[in-house]
Amino acid sequence: MKIGIPRALFYHRYGKFWEVFFQNLGVEVFLSPITNKAILEDGVKNISSEVCLPIKILIGHVRNFKEVERIFLPRFVFLRDKLFACPKMIGVPDCARFVSHFPIDSPKIKNNLFLPHFLYGIYLTKNPLKSLFAYLKARPFLRFPSQPPSFPKEEKKIGLISHFYNLNEDYLGKEVIRFFQEKGFLVYTKEDLPISILHNKDGFAKNIRWVFERELYNAFRFYLDKLDAFCFIFSFGCGPDSLIGEIMEREAKEREIPFLKLVIDEHTGKAGIITRLEAFLDMINRQNGK
Amino acid sequence: MRASFPSFGYETLALKSFLKNLGAEVILPRDLTKRTLEIGVKLSPEMICLPFKITLGNFYEALEMGADTLFMAAGAKKCRFGYYHFLQEKILREKGPIVQSGSFNFYPVSQYTPYQFVFEKMPKIFATTPHKVIRALILLLAKSSLIEDFKELLRKKRAVDFAEAERLEKIFLKKIERAEKFSEILWLKKEIKKILWVEDRDDLLKVGLVGEIYFMIEPFANQEMEKELGRMGVWVLAKRSLYRHLMHLLKLDWEFLKFYFLARRYLKDSPGGEAIRTLGEALDFIKKGVDGIIHIFPFTCMPENIAMEALKEVSKDYDVPVLSLSFDEHTSKTGLLTRLEAFVELIKRKRSKFC
Repeated sequence: MKIGIPRALFYHRYGKFWEVFFQNLGVEVFLSPITNKAILEDGVKNISSEVCLPIKILIGHVRNFKEVERIFLPRFVFLRDKLFACPKMIGVPDCARFVSHFPIDSPKIKNNLFLPHFLYGIYLTKNPLKSLFAYLKARPFLRFPSQPPSFPKEEKKIGLISHFYNLNEDYLGKEVIRFFQEKGFLVYTKEDLPISILHNKDGFAKNIRWVFERELYNAFRFYLDKLDAFCFIFSFGCGPDSLIGEIMEREAKEREIPFLKLVIDEHTGKAGIITRLEAFLDMINRQNGK
Repeated sequence: MRASFPSFGYETLALKSFLKNLGAEVILPRDLTKRTLEIGVKLSPEMICLPFKITLGNFYEALEMGADTLFMAAGAKKCRFGYYHFLQEKILREKGPIVQSGSFNFYPVSQYTPYQFVFEKMPKIFATTPHKVIRALILLLAKSSLIEDFKELLRKKRAVDFAEAERLEKIFLKKIERAEKFSEILWLKKEIKKILWVEDRDDLLKVGLVGEIYFMIEPFANQEMEKELGRMGVWVLAKRSLYRHLMHLLKLDWEFLKFYFLARRYLKDSPGGEAIRTLGEALDFIKKGVDGIIHIFPFTCMPENIAMEALKEVSKDYDVPVLSLSFDEHTSKTGLLTRLEAFVELIKRKRSKFC
């Protein structure tokens, strides 16, 4: 059996887990290549122009497979506490099914990760024990850091508030991370925080029912009085971010912390991003000079 | 109490009498205008969907006219609609008109269960008894059902005789606004059926209209699309109304089960909003034999975008043309008309080929 996993969207958080899981099942795993221009263009062509960039990239990856038998693309409906994924994430396995060359397996993930994976393992190998052991072996890769990172006083610190599928994508966030690291900043993202902070329910976060948006907001609140500046990266057409981003910007403005909203879509060039980031850096420096 | 709520097409009349029956003075801006939209666009975040902007402009104008209690619907929180009221309240308190700013109440309504709504929230807000709330609610259902019938008959009348339909529409809207008693509503229902009745005709072009609820109901948002299609001689079929939505909230909408099972083939799980309903309605219309489907939604609407992908597939499977139109504040009426004309031309040609 050859299983294809698209290297996009949820791969950036659960990828390692899936790889180990399938290896222990004795299934051959094929990954799509790192996002390149051809994949992106194929994705843009095959889905409505209004959806956000990560979804377009995912569709490109799904169509990129050449010699697999099935494609594994789980449907995240909700995670703990009935926190929903965004509507597009719930619907994207269907959209992918319409345009893909191979059949797509999308087990529904509602609240727990174990059952859908366990059953899918049985479906592939017809062996419950093997499936159970594969899950247990892969489980450590689901862990979040247990301690929040340290904040050294002398260093310049910046918080990159964005989703894991934006930041780990070569086409989107990695450029920004590299830029800030070259300028001597310590970069903090929401992936550095333990899950207890990300999912807590205090204050406004209680009202946010999108799981990744709640994580973003909680990370922002946690970093708010600890970092010098924030850069909020989101893709054009991202519904949840357009709302929560606005609320975060208001809070940052109240405390006079520099806050950059960086919108990215498939036409954004590298040079354009760098120019905006440099202007932002100048602004931070001037504010510190005062 | 001087209450206000965002305008909601003809259904505004039913909601207005609901608030009146509860003992509030209702203040509504007369019509949605370009100014409403401009205010909304100026105050709201850039990337949010259009209903947010229009309703925000609507609230602003209502506050200018002296309203002090605002009601806003709020959805189940998969879609952005469930979060409108947080931001709208914040924006209105900060940047609202000077006359009223800071001193108004803002109530998001439909997050409660029916029990909470009738026995806890509404009696508290209006200082009345649950008994009165139930009575107002029944009247609201009756009136919105009347408006649903009226709209359905009007759509067919428009396709047959547009000028006559326009004339009757104005007359009956006034009558509907005045009808406050249960008996009056029932009587009006019969009269509307008698006067607006049109025989079934096969030669009319039939188009199913599906999409996001605000755009389906509010003519200002969809640029009076139903009227324009009627002018072209198209019989528009649409199933979205306040009555159905209320029944859905009260868990009495049996037809939704049908839509759900029809849509299941394409969408295995509800992506929130009204994607399932949109898709189910479209499939239902196709089974009844429409010539085309028009799908309308605000720009970057998340659930409807997924529905749109599914509708593309439906279009291929059943060989029915589907026109998906997304609206934002820059959509011009001329451009829209051109697209509608081209679509109507297409379905006309398709029909003549088969007959």
